[in-house]
Amino acid sequence: MLRGSCLCGGVRYEVAGPLAGALNCHCSMCRKAHGAAFRSRAGVRASDFRWVQGEGLVTWHETSAGTHRGFCRVCGAKLLSRFDFEKKWYGLPLGALDDDPGVRPGMHVFCAYQAPWFEITDNLPQHPEWPPK
Amino acid sequence: MIRASCLCGDVRFEIGGTLSGASHCHCSMCRKAHGAAFGTYAAAKAADFRIASGAERIARYRSSDGIVRTFCARCGSTLQWLRESKPEIVDVALGILDDDPGVRPDRHIYVASKAPWHEITDRLPQHATYPDAK
Repeated sequence: MLRGSCLCGGVRYEVAGPLAGALNCHCSMCRKAHGAAFRSRAGVRASDFRWVQGEGLVTWHETSAGTHRGFCRVCGAKLLSRFDFEKKWYGLPLGALDDDPGVRPGMHVFCAYQAPWFEITDNLPQHPEWPPK
Repeated sequence: MIRASCLCGDVRFEIGGTLSGASHCHCSMCRKAHGAAFGTYAAAKAADFRIASGAERIARYRSSDGIVRTFCARCGSTLQWLRESKPEIVDVALGILDDDPGVRPDRHIYVASKAPWHEITDRLPQHATYPDAK
């Protein structure tokens, strides 16, 4: 069981299953949404995810067609993304986790849009956008 | 002029001078607020800092004694880190910048609180907490 919570502690969630596809995204929307160099996220099955407390505090903003990013309206912590086009999976920002998820980001994506003030110095694969299928 | 804006575009800042003292902060509060591996901030002089639009959208959260973090109430973008005892300085989250600030982060702070799933691989100095703490 993985636990996560926002900064003020008003919102808490639990993830009962494994996380998948952890990566760092440098797209401008992720950088803006998080106000950070990049977003680290993983996929979580919707059936494994449960709000334990404070679901009513989560404000959702549709940041592109069908993608909704949720944050705590009290403290602004970024908590979850859900997709109208893929209901079985959520996108989980790793920063709100209270437990070590075990998984580690395995690549950088949307590096073509990387912040000019940030340099990637690890050895993970870097893709200009999504990696080729 | 350095411009910044949130994801939805409602909140816009303009910084007339330069930014200084850019740091990557790994404290648990930054990690939670940003929902990211770390937050990166640099300081603007309040005299150089202007809210160009969306002042009414800026939500404030006091995350510890005398510290206020702001975010856009509509889209959630993390915006600023403000010390109530130092109103002459505005720390801006670099992730919302629209322009290259010129300045580059030159240290990691609060590395003792770093996320277990994130590894620091650059050569910048790493400080366990805040090096300038008095």
